[in-house]
Amino acid sequence: MKNSLFQTEVVPFFLTFTVLIIVTLISDFLLHQFQLVWIGRYLGIPGTILILLSFLYSLRKRKTIQMGSPKFWLNLHGFLTWFGVLMILVHAGIHFYAILPWLAVIAMLINVISGLTGKFLLNRAQRFLASKKADLSQQGLSAKGIEKEIFWDAVTFDVMKKWRTVHFPITLVFSVLSLVHIISIFLFWEWK
Amino acid sequence: MMNPKTVKFIIIINLLACIFLVFWYPHLMISPGALLEEHQELTTDCFSCHTPFKGSSSEKCMACHSVDDIGLITTKGVKIQQETNVSFHQHLKEPDCVACHTDHQGMKVYRSIQHFSHDLLALPVQNNCDSCHQKPTDPLHQKLTGNCDQCHSETQWQPAIFEHDKYFRFDRHHEAECAKCHLKNDYSQYSCYECHEHSPSKIRSEHREEGIFDYDNCTECHRSGDEDEAERIWKSKRREGRNNNRSEKNEYQRHHDDDDDHDRRRYRHHDDDDDDD
Repeated sequence: MKNSLFQTEVVPFFLTFTVLIIVTLISDFLLHQFQLVWIGRYLGIPGTILILLSFLYSLRKRKTIQMGSPKFWLNLHGFLTWFGVLMILVHAGIHFYAILPWLAVIAMLINVISGLTGKFLLNRAQRFLASKKADLSQQGLSAKGIEKEIFWDAVTFDVMKKWRTVHFPITLVFSVLSLVHIISIFLFWEWK
Repeated sequence: MMNPKTVKFIIIINLLACIFLVFWYPHLMISPGALLEEHQELTTDCFSCHTPFKGSSSEKCMACHSVDDIGLITTKGVKIQQETNVSFHQHLKEPDCVACHTDHQGMKVYRSIQHFSHDLLALPVQNNCDSCHQKPTDPLHQKLTGNCDQCHSETQWQPAIFEHDKYFRFDRHHEAECAKCHLKNDYSQYSCYECHEHSPSKIRSEHREEGIFDYDNCTECHRSGDEDEAERIWKSKRREGRNNNRSEKNEYQRHHDDDDDHDRRRYRHHDDDDDDD
């Protein structure tokens, strides 16, 4: 697996995702340490707002808005989602009381992973696979030999290509579950 | 590969199932933790305590829990035999149950008995701490009445702020345990003689050398280990004493002179009367 697609692309990607989890844990720990847990309770609001703002990228992609380059909106989409997700994760904390909010959190995490796959990995993976094929071809390997050599890389790439089929339906799941969670909060909150 | 439409359909069905589960099993799906053991029968009946889009009101709590009966009679009308420390409920400015109480396990972080605010109590009760709290049994506290807030905060008993510096500042020569000076933990008294450095004979001779004969209350001049400071305080006290004596003497003299004048005038008046006669 030396210099494989998994090592050069997937591992760094998971490390990036791990940073999100570590920052969440540190933030949660600090809030508990300084008895500021109540802040976490309200972080759900800015977190949701940031995630909603990140949907501006979808509007740009569908040409509902014309302003700015799609690349800018894509970067903004990733940036806003990362911070929004961080806030929601701190908001969720490590408390297991109700099932529905946790289903929403799981859907959100799947959404993040699939989104990161699409944003960071796919293009780089495609380039990586093409250059590896070219290298092997230059070394004089036959088409069958090349196919054998890049078998696992091709499998990894195929799995990564499925990100779209996950990212969009899971966004729907996340949105609906979050909406039910928000409605239930509005329904039972102490409004005074 | 499954048709995207089929995927969407399956997802929507699952989501609808989730939403239905919220109505059937609210305690599992959306409730922030289990209810108190005594309220278990209300587990699936959220609206017995919550009013939609308003929250849980004190009125709903008081429908079962009469504030006047808290700590005295149970909700089933049975008299509570053992003494409780919840009688302050009868002295609340206004009943605001949810300010301190929550039924849900997950809400205890945000609202718990520990977050009780003394501001909820009527003012006379706020100033009368030992109507709810038991006074510590040590000699210092037993001699005190009220004014707990001089040393203690409303949120926690410890750490208590006692400004010892007002009486004596500790320095590197005086890093003593409380009991070293306050014998038998009686903080209303102290003794400096318990240390090898301050023997009664040594203190007596040192003070008499300086012409000081009233040296029983050490901290009157010695506010720390700084002897120069003690000397300054003693000198200023002596000066004050002299001034007081002088002013007392002057006052006495003035009164005396006034009386003399008065007598003189009186006698003169008498003399005048005699002349008239």
